[in-house]
Amino acid sequence: MEKITLRVNSRDVEVLVEPSWTLLYVLREVLDLTGVKPGCHTGDCGACKVIIDGEAVNSCLVRAVHVQGKSIETVEGLAQDGRLHPLQQAFIDCGAVQCGYCTPGMLMSAKSLLDKNPAPTEEEIKEALGNNYCRCTGYYKIVEAIQLAAARMREVGAE
Amino acid sequence: MTDKGYAVIGERVPIQDAVLKVTGQYKFTDDLKLPGMLYAQVLFSPVPHARIKSIDTSAAEALPGVRAVATYKNSPRVRYNSTTRLYTQKWIENECIFDDTVRFIGDRVAAVAADTLEIAKKAVRLIKVEYEELPYYTDPLEAMAEDAYPIHGDSNIAGKIYQNAGDVEKGLAEADYVFEDTYTTPAVHHGAIETHAAIAYVDPRGKLTVITANQNTFGTRIVLARIFGLPLSRIRVINPGMGGAFGGKLEVTIEPVVAQLARMTGRPVKLTYNRKETMISTRTRHAAIITIKTGVKKDGTIVAQDIKVITNTGAYAGSAMNVVGAMSGKVYKVYKIPNLRFTGYPVYTNTPSAGAMRGYGSPQVFFAQQCQLQKIAKALNMDFAELQLKNLVDPDGIDQRTGKSIGNPRPKDCLRRALELQRNWQPLSDEGGKYAIGVGMALGCHGNSTFDAHLDKASIIIKMNEDSSCILFSGSHEMGQATITAQMQAVAEILKLPLDMIDVVCGDTDLCGWTVGDFSSRGIYISLYAAKKAAEAARAALLRAAALLLEEDVNNLDLSESHVYSRVSGKRVERYRVMEYVQQVLKEEIICTASHHATRAPGSYGFHIARVRVEKSTGKVEVTDYIAVQDVGKVINRLGAEGQVEGAVQMGIGYALCEKLEVDAEGRVRSSSFRQYKMLRAANMPKLQVDFVEEYEPTGPFGAKSLAECAVVAVAPAVINAICNALDIEIKDLPYSYRGQ
Ligand code: FES
Ligand code: FES
Repeated sequence: MEKITLRVNSRDVEVLVEPSWTLLYVLREVLDLTGVKPGCHTGDCGACKVIIDGEAVNSCLVRAVHVQGKSIETVEGLAQDGRLHPLQQAFIDCGAVQCGYCTPGMLMSAKSLLDKNPAPTEEEIKEALGNNYCRCTGYYKIVEAIQLAAARMREVGAE
Repeated sequence: MTDKGYAVIGERVPIQDAVLKVTGQYKFTDDLKLPGMLYAQVLFSPVPHARIKSIDTSAAEALPGVRAVATYKNSPRVRYNSTTRLYTQKWIENECIFDDTVRFIGDRVAAVAADTLEIAKKAVRLIKVEYEELPYYTDPLEAMAEDAYPIHGDSNIAGKIYQNAGDVEKGLAEADYVFEDTYTTPAVHHGAIETHAAIAYVDPRGKLTVITANQNTFGTRIVLARIFGLPLSRIRVINPGMGGAFGGKLEVTIEPVVAQLARMTGRPVKLTYNRKETMISTRTRHAAIITIKTGVKKDGTIVAQDIKVITNTGAYAGSAMNVVGAMSGKVYKVYKIPNLRFTGYPVYTNTPSAGAMRGYGSPQVFFAQQCQLQKIAKALNMDFAELQLKNLVDPDGIDQRTGKSIGNPRPKDCLRRALELQRNWQPLSDEGGKYAIGVGMALGCHGNSTFDAHLDKASIIIKMNEDSSCILFSGSHEMGQATITAQMQAVAEILKLPLDMIDVVCGDTDLCGWTVGDFSSRGIYISLYAAKKAAEAARAALLRAAALLLEEDVNNLDLSESHVYSRVSGKRVERYRVMEYVQQVLKEEIICTASHHATRAPGSYGFHIARVRVEKSTGKVEVTDYIAVQDVGKVINRLGAEGQVEGAVQMGIGYALCEKLEVDAEGRVRSSSFRQYKMLRAANMPKLQVDFVEEYEPTGPFGAKSLAECAVVAVAPAVINAICNALDIEIKDLPYSYRGQ
């Protein structure tokens, strides 16, 4: 076991980890952040997406020991002071949530995109979701929700 | 009573648990941890068919942290049918938790419960098994040969399904042309992003609780009761909600395994399959070989059709008979074909068990039928839409076998609307001949409820609170289809309550009224109806109490969001005052139960049009535009209804173009990860127009009928027909595999 420090959702946490443990495993099984979902463990579904230093990354492919000291955002950190993030609200409003299993990963891919590009085109959104599977929605309402959130965020930003 | 200006019915209502889901707080099965919980791992068969000569678990048992190793030797050998619904039902029962014979690569051999998953995995590798290999079959045509080695009983043909209307031979003789074609469809994986997971624990009285991602909790309870010899009161099955299911979680798979381990250890045990395990060891959609012989007149009238189907049902019976049975019924809901015969044989092979999947037999048979009909239209030099209109059922349509009504079928309206929407398409360039462009269409049909096969019933309970808010107890299973949301809408509509005054307890066999599970397109058609009736009962009880309190004729009373009032005298009282009167003066409660059962199984329909662009050099297909019009009787939740169709288009295009659970000649699943098994990504989705035909179905709640399964049926044939038109070729096998000239 090795002791590492992670900055998870703006809080420093110390955890004891085995070198073989993935970040997905540590987030879910050690830190109880079960919003991060396993779907394949091979980096192909995006359900386990978290943001590491600004980039949306599949946490099933990352060893926890390799992200020592890095800043990690999970879906649990999106809402602030009991207020939903505009992406979360837009996902609800647009019907982008069905079973909800892909939703946390979708939200993290979308947040990483909007953090970098506040006015993405439809193609850019689809590209950002290129590694996220959804089996329920056909992606239409997810893309629409990201566009709506982006518009709402730009409006607030412009005020 | 058609559209009456409803308040919430027909509106755009986000799924009721959305806030939990977007915040990561919705707890799926694998998200749960119980004190003292053990972790399980299953050992899967590496051979397609073998008798277990010896199995040595001593090294695994000796590993520190291992709490139990279960095999056929120390587990009940009770045989069950994994898709059981009714207590007294007798279906083919040939699966057990573990057996002394393994029948496919991926069959369960043993399972370990240990303190950690790592230990459990290590222990599984220490189990030594000697196999005596037996002949095996991956191809149903070989398996059904008379001298084939039987996987069960004395034949690999699980059964025969036969349906007939009219005289097919006579009809074919009277036809001007007869066409005969054989089509094949592959086994596919449901692709729910949540894999299979279950947790079981046993209390000191021996009561077994299983928390599981399973669409059939009451049926699963029966199977567990049979296996463990317990009364139903000593088994509780809870479904916490599923991360997609699509039929893949209908059948009992891992529940008996965790239950057995929990009984052996006395501790809670969790078993979560990873993607590969889910793909090779749960269920698939039946691969099928479909031969259709169709006789037509010169003017396009179909006079006879003979459909013969062989399905590969894999290693165990499960849905073998049901899927082919359902398929056989649905073909009688579509065309006015007086002479129509269906013969189907589900066949055992040494491949993963096939089971329920969205559409339940319809995607296979309508793929074949719709592709052949396009071919026939071409041969007759007839517009395909015209051929459809000539033969499709009208609203007074009947089942040719029985002469009985099939509801208010509107496939023709769907077709006409789809053609209208096609006018919105922009011209598409072939970029100087680089691409071939084609448009294809298809009709899809699916049923409503399990009525054609067995009893379909749901019972819903509503409990009113002091402030007149209420709790709905529903045996329905939530998997993203928003069935619970629809039930809440019905309650909100009838009880005139805002949605946040209603909450729900669902998917729990101890707490909820009995219901058939969530499959067979019955959520809207049956369960919603039961919720509506329960709400009507609660409303009547509230008004009866108010009548006493107000000393007013109950027939004069009505509800507003806050009051009960008299339309005649103008007397009014707050709703919470009525509840106070019920509880404190009458010393009673308002707890209402209502049941609804199917008395008919009408058809739901969809007409779809696809446009594709095929790169000539590579054969690569892009579906650029898509239209889906569905006959749903009445839209209950527009947001949810659109979402169901949109998701169905994703799944259906995958079925057409790229999805296949590839099993090699040795019986090994080759595409057993998401790396190899490709589904559509966001960038692959076409521009989509969705619309609904809303013509009141008299037997449905608010006039509504089913949608989500039906919506997937027409997709693959529409896409394949488009490709056939683009390239001027015939395609008879799914998925599409043409690789260019
Ligand atoms: S679980 Fe990490 S990408 Fe699927
Ligand atoms: S909402 Fe179910 S997988 Fe996306």
